[in-house]
Amino acid sequence: MARGLATNKSRLLLAGLVLGHLVAISRQVDIGDGVTLFERWLFALFSPLQGLISGGVDGVGGTWSSYVSLRGVREENRHLRDRLAVTELLLQQRTHQAREAARLRELLQLRAVLPLETLVAEVIARDGVPWFRTVTLDKGADQGVTLSAPVISPNGVVGRVIRLGPDAAVVQLLLDQESGVGVRIERSRVTGVVGGQVDSAGQLTGDLQLKYVPMLADVVEGDLVITSGLDRIYPAGLVVGRVRLVRLGAGLFKEILVAPSARFDKLEEVLVVRTPLPDVSVTETVQ
Amino acid sequence: MSVFWTAVALVTALAVQTALSLIGPGWARILDPFLLVVVYCGLKGGETHGMLAGAAAGWMQDVHFGGRVLGLAGLTKVLVGFGVGLAGTRFQLTEPGARLLVVVAAVIIDALVLGQLARAFDVVTGSLTLGGLALRAGVNAAIGVPLFALVERRRWRWSGA
Repeated sequence: MARGLATNKSRLLLAGLVLGHLVAISRQVDIGDGVTLFERWLFALFSPLQGLISGGVDGVGGTWSSYVSLRGVREENRHLRDRLAVTELLLQQRTHQAREAARLRELLQLRAVLPLETLVAEVIARDGVPWFRTVTLDKGADQGVTLSAPVISPNGVVGRVIRLGPDAAVVQLLLDQESGVGVRIERSRVTGVVGGQVDSAGQLTGDLQLKYVPMLADVVEGDLVITSGLDRIYPAGLVVGRVRLVRLGAGLFKEILVAPSARFDKLEEVLVVRTPLPDVSVTETVQ
Repeated sequence: MSVFWTAVALVTALAVQTALSLIGPGWARILDPFLLVVVYCGLKGGETHGMLAGAAAGWMQDVHFGGRVLGLAGLTKVLVGFGVGLAGTRFQLTEPGARLLVVVAAVIIDALVLGQLARAFDVVTGSLTLGGLALRAGVNAAIGVPLFALVERRRWRWSGA
């Protein structure tokens, strides 16, 4: 029994000595690049454990990092969303300004070629119906606007001032059934009166009706309709629209529909004529 | 065999090896006094004593006569000491003939183990031919066995006095 214990102890001692020697030797054996065999063994022995620990730490670190990053991304996302909203607002403003500038440029060009004294006014209100009949301008009597002053846009005649305030004016559009503009067919010089057209239900159709044109008058579809100046309100030669439909009427006159040139649904800036002059021909320039 | 006498024997072996290396390198390669000390310690003290003596002897040999890698001779001598000690505790190895065989076996095992370890650790060592190995075994046995008897006789005389 004692002999067996001694043998076991000696074997343990042998194992320890052998292991110690192997370690001591391997620490001295250089396998290249200054790396000893012992280091290589140790590396081979512990690298899986290191890999495991590293993987665990990386996993935890990655999760934490992802969490922190996610929080950062969330904040950044919110910040970017705010900035995007501001940018979109700025973009809309810039786009609006650009369109406004383009419109004003058109108005200025028209103003430059018109032999009339005009005033630029901005539309600040409309009727709340699909086919509104009036618009309100931001210029009134204090700015030199007079009652019945013609209002025009780069596309064509808009209407006339029917109500006047110190700093605002209400314009009756050509679309209004109650409006009336003395016009003439530019090609055949046939005259008539244009007003708003309503359907059987009394709703505005968006077209103009050219009235009082005799059955034998030379009017065809596509003819340009301009102001005649005979109404003493609108200067002659301003474009009103084009003939869209011509047919025989019930009485002595033809039934003629005119598509207005002015884009009433997109009116924003207009020109108010201060001193309407009779017999002014500006057809070519307006065209 | 006490630690003291083991230390004395190892120092003596160091002195002899040094002297032999000075007298002639060939002799130093043939006679291995450290191995004789290890074999004697294993025979007299068992495997533990043989291993410890082998470790000490091997490291002395490595430090003083070894190459750039220390420990090869130490590990070799540990294994030899363990083997001799194991044999000494299991067999009656007191006769000169048996001891001669033990020394011869120890020399061969020492050479083989050292060679294998050197190869395993990629350490360049002096090659030993079969004839050289036989000469080494013969010389160590021829010197070691009488030396063991001489030491035992001295020890017996001192302990008897």
